[in-house]
Amino acid sequence: MSVLLLLVPLALVLLIAAIWAFAWAVKRGQFEDLDTPALSILVDDDEPPPPPARSDQDDA
Amino acid sequence: MNTVAASVAQAPSIEATCFHCSEPLAPHAPRVAIDGVERGFCCDGCAAAAQWIRDARLSDYYKLRSGHAGRVEPAGEALACWDREDILAAHARNVPGGREMVLLTDGMRCAACAWLIDRALMREPGVIEVSANAVTGRIRIAWDPARTPLSRPLRRLMSLGYRPWLATGAERERARITERNRALLRLGIAGLGAVQAMMFTEALYLDTNATMSIPMRDFLRWIAFLISSPVVFYSGWPFIAGCLRELRERRLGADTLVATSTLLAYGASLFETLTGGPHVWYDAAVMFVFLLLTARMLEQRARSAASARVDALARARPAFAVREREDGSREAIPLEALEAGDVACVAAGDAVPADGTLLADEAWFEESLLTGESRPVHKKAGDPVFAGTACREVPARMRVGAIGAATRLSQLAALVERAQAHRPTIARTADRVAMGFVAALLVVAAIVYFTWRAHAPDRALDVTLALLVISCPCALSLAIPAALTAANGSLARMGVLPVGADALERLARVTDVVFDKTGTLGDATPSLVDVATFDDMEREHALRIAAALERDSRHPLAAMFAPFAHEGLRATEVRSVAGQGVRGVVDGREWCLGHARFAAGATDDGALWLGDGAHARARFEVREAPRIDAAQALASLRAQGLSLHLCSGDGEAAVARFASTLDLPDAHARQTPEDKLARVRSLQAEGRVVAMVGDGLNDAPVLAGADVSIAVGDGAALAQRAADLVLATPALHRIPDAIALARRTRRIVRQNLAWAVGWNLLALPIAAMGLVTPWIAALGMALSSLTVTLNALRLARVREGVAA
Repeated sequence: MSVLLLLVPLALVLLIAAIWAFAWAVKRGQFEDLDTPALSILVDDDEPPPPPARSDQDDA
Repeated sequence: MNTVAASVAQAPSIEATCFHCSEPLAPHAPRVAIDGVERGFCCDGCAAAAQWIRDARLSDYYKLRSGHAGRVEPAGEALACWDREDILAAHARNVPGGREMVLLTDGMRCAACAWLIDRALMREPGVIEVSANAVTGRIRIAWDPARTPLSRPLRRLMSLGYRPWLATGAERERARITERNRALLRLGIAGLGAVQAMMFTEALYLDTNATMSIPMRDFLRWIAFLISSPVVFYSGWPFIAGCLRELRERRLGADTLVATSTLLAYGASLFETLTGGPHVWYDAAVMFVFLLLTARMLEQRARSAASARVDALARARPAFAVREREDGSREAIPLEALEAGDVACVAAGDAVPADGTLLADEAWFEESLLTGESRPVHKKAGDPVFAGTACREVPARMRVGAIGAATRLSQLAALVERAQAHRPTIARTADRVAMGFVAALLVVAAIVYFTWRAHAPDRALDVTLALLVISCPCALSLAIPAALTAANGSLARMGVLPVGADALERLARVTDVVFDKTGTLGDATPSLVDVATFDDMEREHALRIAAALERDSRHPLAAMFAPFAHEGLRATEVRSVAGQGVRGVVDGREWCLGHARFAAGATDDGALWLGDGAHARARFEVREAPRIDAAQALASLRAQGLSLHLCSGDGEAAVARFASTLDLPDAHARQTPEDKLARVRSLQAEGRVVAMVGDGLNDAPVLAGADVSIAVGDGAALAQRAADLVLATPALHRIPDAIALARRTRRIVRQNLAWAVGWNLLALPIAAMGLVTPWIAALGMALSSLTVTLNALRLARVREGVAA
């Protein structure tokens, strides 16, 4: 049973680490918008943007 | 670019609505090929937006979106204001590499919009970072002023149909985020702590043969104490604070119940730990806090998503006004800089920035937000114009009278706030039950304590604590939040956004439904129901003449005649006559189209007449049609035993027609917001519970004054803010669905309460007799909580026919 004397404090350290990580995520706004990032990873982003000349023309 | 070229009007078209914004299509609709399929668009703006999206290879947007985009309005010169240094100084902040600013937009409706905005703006040169939040409708944009003015990415934003507004209420938004983050942190700590504390206390429970050494047992107890303390006092602080508040107000409420049971379980455990007693109940305390925080969080999530958007929009105002200088030149200035006495210019289609008097000879204003009148109102020089109304047809000049809080718009908003404050408060079921329960429990505990003291003094405290812990009303407190959470989720899936806190509970008790006609029951587009011709006039020819006369008008009536336009027939010398109609020459003859008196010299009967000014040649019966599902929705409501009323700001004739078409016996016309509110109050005085369905800003006060209020989705933001429920899609049959769901929720809440009270009645005698072992306590608590939760989850299932 004496191993518990080591394991229990270890569990407490892990608990504190988990809480710290969670607090970090909350402060960084990771829970701000749960839908948009979930959607954006579904879409391939590899396609090249349009030729710049064309969009400039639109703006002009 | 030739793909935008308009194709032949009568080309076989598959869809009748704009692919981008789902507005109805005109015959000469531009068409663009998207993903190989030719699509129709309502206007060149939407077509250009779709074309840009296609060319930028962002067509995935159309697959990802769950709602239609907003109609694309042409970008005015007003965007240049966004580059003004005084605006930027007040609203932007410096970040490494450039500046950052938060904007609001009204068109963002789903995650796909946020995605599209992110991608589209990031491709603009000079933009450093963009993050769009679909929940709050806010866009944070960082750009490099050296490489691009802000107006350039904003022009792109506008060309996609998202109109930028100056984000106001930043302070409140920050406070909301801080508050939400704290709630999340509380929940996270409660969850993590609860799992750990359970682990250690379960180890103690499982030691059924008492083989664990006393030092080890005490060690585990102290560890459990260490972990549960922050959960009880940090995560559980909202309950403790609520309890203190209720005690100060001398009432026993739900928070008192939660806080006392948590603190009792925690305190008793601490006592047992200190004295080496037989049981600890740390797990009960932490689980209780965790479960309740979860229930609260889930319940609030659906609601806050809805209200954050509604709220932000209600505060969105036009950011700029155009002022005319002494020398006649014009300048765009921030709205706050506008002063009484200034001359302001309003472009056609824009909102009037302040109250004032009209300087232009004549102009039309759409005042539906203020008065409920759906047609543009004609004004002459010297007439008052009001902030928030939209200028139609022609640009106008006005002398500013009242600004800011003094405007009619702001006064209406204030009326909303007041009516909300006066809303009849209904004592909440949970509070009532809790109050009796806490009182009874404390009395029973005292009796048990003294009885045991008389018989077996050494067990008195032990048994009393066990009694208090086992009757720890987990189930009782979970019963209502769990049911509300499930029901709110179902509502949101149905397309009904619950904004008000206890909307469902009040909706379940509704006995009367009051409708506002304009835009609520009607579809706001006039249609031709009957054409009568006189003399030898042919029906077809009359329609063609009318179409020719109306060809260049932007009036809704013009769209109605557009399908009858004929190339060979052109109108010349077309003049619109203020408030009467149009006059013009077609085929060498002069024609008048408008009111009976103007076109035919007859008595005005509300119809549209065509004539030469003295003789009538044709009469067009024009009506605003009811929404497609209006009759069916009203029938369902009647089947639910509700009485229906109609209270409209529109004229007698229109209201009477609606009342007879839809079989509404109790109809009132020409009602001001004050009249409507009085009508609702008189129904309430008769003991009726009134649900109000409306859409205009003029309905906002009465929405706030009714027992429960429903705003139709495409209505004014302020009306939505005053409402308890917002219909995200203008589908009236959602109303009977929502009422049915509310009634089902009430039934399930009652079942849950009965179960929870029953469980406590069963457990109390066992505990009082001193027979409770930790095993029974744990099982009993788990079972009762599980039962109410599962029962509540029945509400999360949306029934067939209700879902769609």
